[in-house]
Amino acid sequence: MTIRLTVNGETREFAAAPMTPLVDVLRDGLHLTGAKPVCREGFCGACMVLVDAVPTVACLTPVALVEGRDIETVEGLTSGESPTPVQAALEEHDAVQCGMCFPGMVVALTHLTTSGTCEPNRAAVKEALVGNVCRCTGYERIVDAALAVMEAGHE
Amino acid sequence: MSETAEKAVQDFRRRDARDKLLGRTRYTIDRGAAGMLHAALLRSDVPSGRIARLDVSAAARMPGVRAVVTHEDAPGRAGLGIADHPLFATDVVRYCGEPIAAVAAESEAEARAALAAITVDIEPLPAVLDMGASLAEDAPLVHPGWQGYEVLTQGGARGGNVAWEASVDRGDVDAAFARSDVTVVESSFRVGRQNHLSLEPRAVVANYEDGRYHIETSTQVPWTVRNTTATLLGVPASAIRVTVPPVGGGFGLKFDCALEPFAALLARKSGRTVRLVNSREEEMLTCLFRENAEIRIRSAVAPDGSIAGREAVVLMDCGAYGGEQVFLTTMTAHTLGGNYRLGAVRIVSRAVYTNTAPNGAFRACNGVYNTFALERHTDEIAAAIGMAPEAFRFKNVIGDGDLGATGQVFEGDVLAPMLEKMAALRAKDPSPQLTDGRLSGRATTVGTWFVFTGPSAATVNMNADGSATLVTSGVEIGSGSMMQALPQIVAATLGLTPDKVVVRAADTDAAGYDVGVGGGRTTVSLGAASRTAAIEVRTKLLKVASDMLEAAAEDLVIADGRIEIAGAKGSGATIAEVASHGQMRFGPLSGTGSFAAAGTPAMAGCCAGHFIEALDIPVFAVHDCDVAVDPLTGHVEVLAYRVVQDVGRALNPSAIFGQIQGGVVQGLGYALHEEADVGPDGHIRQKSFETYRVPLAGDVVPVAIELHEGAPSIGPLGTKGAGEVPILNVGATVACAVANATGKTVSELPLTPPRVLALLIDEAQAPVFPHIRDRHADNLTAPGR
Repeated sequence: MTIRLTVNGETREFAAAPMTPLVDVLRDGLHLTGAKPVCREGFCGACMVLVDAVPTVACLTPVALVEGRDIETVEGLTSGESPTPVQAALEEHDAVQCGMCFPGMVVALTHLTTSGTCEPNRAAVKEALVGNVCRCTGYERIVDAALAVMEAGHE
Repeated sequence: MSETAEKAVQDFRRRDARDKLLGRTRYTIDRGAAGMLHAALLRSDVPSGRIARLDVSAAARMPGVRAVVTHEDAPGRAGLGIADHPLFATDVVRYCGEPIAAVAAESEAEARAALAAITVDIEPLPAVLDMGASLAEDAPLVHPGWQGYEVLTQGGARGGNVAWEASVDRGDVDAAFARSDVTVVESSFRVGRQNHLSLEPRAVVANYEDGRYHIETSTQVPWTVRNTTATLLGVPASAIRVTVPPVGGGFGLKFDCALEPFAALLARKSGRTVRLVNSREEEMLTCLFRENAEIRIRSAVAPDGSIAGREAVVLMDCGAYGGEQVFLTTMTAHTLGGNYRLGAVRIVSRAVYTNTAPNGAFRACNGVYNTFALERHTDEIAAAIGMAPEAFRFKNVIGDGDLGATGQVFEGDVLAPMLEKMAALRAKDPSPQLTDGRLSGRATTVGTWFVFTGPSAATVNMNADGSATLVTSGVEIGSGSMMQALPQIVAATLGLTPDKVVVRAADTDAAGYDVGVGGGRTTVSLGAASRTAAIEVRTKLLKVASDMLEAAAEDLVIADGRIEIAGAKGSGATIAEVASHGQMRFGPLSGTGSFAAAGTPAMAGCCAGHFIEALDIPVFAVHDCDVAVDPLTGHVEVLAYRVVQDVGRALNPSAIFGQIQGGVVQGLGYALHEEADVGPDGHIRQKSFETYRVPLAGDVVPVAIELHEGAPSIGPLGTKGAGEVPILNVGATVACAVANATGKTVSELPLTPPRVLALLIDEAQAPVFPHIRDRHADNLTAPGR
């Protein structure tokens, strides 16, 4: 079937079986390889994108279910090479190691730091990150970076 | 501190962070090209059987299929120590998940459809799924033809289902145990498998062009991939080029050749680019796990608290093929046999074949569970002789001039001052008082690890624009060594800033041999080769500058991007000017460097079957933690965690702190909830993220860290590897703390709530290993058997 999506602000149309996971459409069809298919069952969060501004695991999202919706991937968060506050804070906190989790982590943290749904404290940030697995860093610097962004936003 | 070392130490940020955060980094799984084929593997669904019929002709005719390959296309056998491993199952299958055939097609769906069209009849054979079954009398042999295999390294005892055996025998152990004044303590331990769960699966893209294979792959060991692929395919190693994009996590999983030969074969047969990526389920089922192990350790302890004698048996499940465990039998002498002064010692460490997925290397392989066993045993000794565990450790830890298990003479007092630092670190933030009914426990443990030295090569090209290009076969797997330590070392040697040092990604056509990125060796081995290469360049630069400035080379100083006459700032020229001048006069300036293991000696005649008899660079760690145990649920919470780590010299402290936090958290997973095991059907039971539980953000605590600098090291500028060791004694420390909290004997990891509850209500079964014989000698493979 023909599917129409808005991806990173641009309306795109393409043919795909309705059950095709969104992550495969993004990666194989649009060459947006930021979102990573890691566990393909919604546990790791490495494929996270924003669907109408809500963090969503793209591996468990059949493309037909997001027909006409607004998809934002990690690539769409920035224009050019200047990082967002979340990306800048993660860089500043020296949080990155292998990097595979970060596209999804950045998407999750972008929502977390801007939506007002998360209290600016360690426990709340850690709880909010329950859907994002990082195997390298031991998380604490990621939490520090998120808190720094939230604190800067409250100034 | 030398001037170079001083300049090398800095908080230099990794240059790959920005693109990783922007989602722009292209890992192997992100690489694709128009016209690329997609491959899939047919894997065995039974753990043991004879292949009665294999017919791929129908599959080859399926839509979109461009190539099918089987054992007929890959005649060789590879391995570590023993060449026991073919690429495809040939006459028999030995584990669930063993590859039988590979298909390349226009799409992944077409490749998988073609797998279903392959006819394969397997007649089941008896399987040995655990080491008890494997070592039982009259057990079926996993490799009935083991005696015919090519032996690649001499010295290991072998026989039946024992793939390799390494043994240590130093001093008169029988006499120590026969003393009337000693207290004998015996402990047994068991651990399961741990999955690396690197977020990027094993993945490869292969081409065949102009008579050579180009393999682009997610690996830690480009040269092992090159050489092993050549062996399996029966082609010259020079016909294979391996390049490595950024690797999305390794932890040892990618320290072996994996999918590369399949993709290479299919690329040659189809004449097309072939991509092969493991599905997550394939990753889970065929993970080269940290092996499950069974350990018995006995000690004879004198009244003064010294260890008069020790003997131990360690069984390591290597799965269906020997692989890394053959090598890792070596490490038991240095880990279980480490930490403490021993009067007399004998240890046997055996890699045991089973009909299960092969195990492999995982961060501080072997050391993690042997440290768990040794430190729990140590606490049991302290309790048995009525000595405080801290006092027992202070008294017995290895110090300057002491002998290790293999008779190696250790240099420097390292562990004792580290224990003192830990006491001070703990005093800053004392154990919390619990008022919620949970049981509290605390423990301090020590650990011995090493740097896997061995061959490395580097070339430094000095460019006329004042930058330098470092060419090695090193791989960036996430630790940052290739992004930070290496350019820092080269830059400090050449008087540049590290951002002026370009680091070439691994390419076996561009750089010389390297053992690989693992074993804490990048900064040390590649760093030493890089430093030698940079020194050669510096010497050449100074010679050119000496001509230009009409001053003796020894009167020149190279620093801050300039070469100056000593004491006359502004007298000289920029490094770019000197390099440019040199390039015009003599041709481009470059230097090469090599590094190899130092070959530190053991005591003659006291060990057999060891790949490394003594440690060139020992690395020590002291860990401490506080836990709370819920007596109603068995849940263990780690309240505080502390690390004092021997790093030699910390070139980039922020990077090391990041490695320690990450390594400790991986260890907490191993200690508390990460466990893979084999079901009765021979399949690994944990097939996905749902059933294999790794630490999440809410499970972790910030680790309090103190680096111990200044211990002896042959590493460049006094460095040691810092990324591997942080996981070493986490299982040990948590286990000792839980034992202290509950007053129960902790003999197994991970400490899941059901396991801890069983301990609390005295229903935990102590491990019993009938296949570990009471008499030590009966656990040794008789020569010539």
